[in-house]
Amino acid sequence: MTGLSGTRRDLITGLAAAAALAGIAPIATAQTSVRLIVVGGGFGGATAARFLKQFLPSSAVTLIEPNTDYYACPFSNLVIGGLRDLSAQRFGYDGLRGLGIDVVQDRAEDIDPVAHSVTLGSGDVLAYDRLVLSPGIDIRWNAIEGYDAAAASIMPHAWKAGAQTELLRNQLSAMEDGGLVVMAVPPAPFRCPPGPYERASLIANYLKAHKPKSRLLILDAQDKFSKQPLFEEAWSAFYPGLIERRGAEDFSRVVAVDPARMVLSTEFEEVTAAVANVIPPQMAGEIAQRAGVANATGWCPIDAVTFGSALQPDIHVIGDATIAAPMPKSAFSANLQAKLCAAQVARLVSGLPPEPTLLTNTCYSYLSADAAVSITGIYSNEGGKLTSIAGAGGLSPNGMDPVIQGNEAMQAATWFRTITQQAFG
Amino acid sequence: MGTALLALLIAACSTTPEAPAPDASAEMLPALDRTATLALACSGCHSPAGGAMASLEGRTEDAIRHSLLTYKGDAAGTTVMHRMMRGYSEIDIDAISAYLAESAAP
Repeated sequence: MTGLSGTRRDLITGLAAAAALAGIAPIATAQTSVRLIVVGGGFGGATAARFLKQFLPSSAVTLIEPNTDYYACPFSNLVIGGLRDLSAQRFGYDGLRGLGIDVVQDRAEDIDPVAHSVTLGSGDVLAYDRLVLSPGIDIRWNAIEGYDAAAASIMPHAWKAGAQTELLRNQLSAMEDGGLVVMAVPPAPFRCPPGPYERASLIANYLKAHKPKSRLLILDAQDKFSKQPLFEEAWSAFYPGLIERRGAEDFSRVVAVDPARMVLSTEFEEVTAAVANVIPPQMAGEIAQRAGVANATGWCPIDAVTFGSALQPDIHVIGDATIAAPMPKSAFSANLQAKLCAAQVARLVSGLPPEPTLLTNTCYSYLSADAAVSITGIYSNEGGKLTSIAGAGGLSPNGMDPVIQGNEAMQAATWFRTITQQAFG
Repeated sequence: MGTALLALLIAACSTTPEAPAPDASAEMLPALDRTATLALACSGCHSPAGGAMASLEGRTEDAIRHSLLTYKGDAAGTTVMHRMMRGYSEIDIDAISAYLAESAAP
């Protein structure tokens, strides 16, 4: 139990606990005094805010997010492939407001982990007892020579959904039949490991139907990739001759781009593209660097039970920004990490020790309009470190069974509806 | 004792005038012990929100346990649930089944 020699919060919690044990209604201020701030309104942050409020209903939960509309990345490759409208990717925060969460539409400019405060773009300073950071990713501009924010308006990354998704979609629509589409894939780790290859499948699906003389070239900094046997099987079956991938073994990492000439350079060749989708190297969202929760890798080390930062007290980090391998950077992971983080924060502020559990991830990838495959993992966070459970998880079966792949496409669609409802309400 | 205490705290706080009681079934259940956190992994796909792919509503503990153990035991199974259940012990499956049946009771 909580000792009475701790902070004021511990003291109040301890009193409440004593009251509860004695069968007396606990002091209502036990949780009212807890100020919880969540930074970032994506799958991680929106879910965290909701579940913190559910588990600690008397706490003050604030969600800081600059954008009024959130565009979901999962399923955005269907938009790029012309199979889905971008508006189906848009979500807002009214559902969270309805739960009593204070949604502040401003940018978190700075975080002072010692003073326990967040400075907003407006200059306002908000104090917290515990902070949950769900900053997602930021692009490492110029990690590929010449690839800066201006270049991204010509060679879109479309690795944050919204305007970039639409730009790439429009470029593909406007491209003449016969044009070469080039996709650059960065070295791991990056958001959504199977994402580039799902995108390649759905671009190929579009080209096959509308621009049959066009081709897609993938210049890949990776040797091997997620769901590789399933994607390669599907590319041969659905899009023969349409997709060419050159991997790291062929020195095909893109090291420079020249947007004015639409040229992408690897270590020994130059490729001219009609449409270039440059997925660049990434890092934890910029605010993580300012809060001092990212290490030299640019990503955030955590205790995998509480998602507490390994570098700063009373700050938790969830989602794509974390170093959570073997758990991938996915919306499914971010959503579950948010729920578990909220549960462990509720335990901590109530004076209970954190408790390890099992985690899962499932990522669906579309191969065409009505076929999908999946990868599943099960992980233990015992000892604060994520480890895969041996003998479990893995890929959908090979063999291109249309019933199995059709079922997985339907499951993917249902998963998207369920998880977006759970995050955004 | 710890988890029961937290349940008490949550239950009591949710009925104070300052914090109007939300939906009791959602609010009172999570004792936030290991069983509750195991079950949080299920709700990304099987929460009632969004028309879950297989609704758990009204399913009994026995029915849920039977399904999960069938997935776990079917070595030839290839669905996401088959792949996933191989990672859970029978003890965990028992606990999850009881928890989900209680959570999903009408």
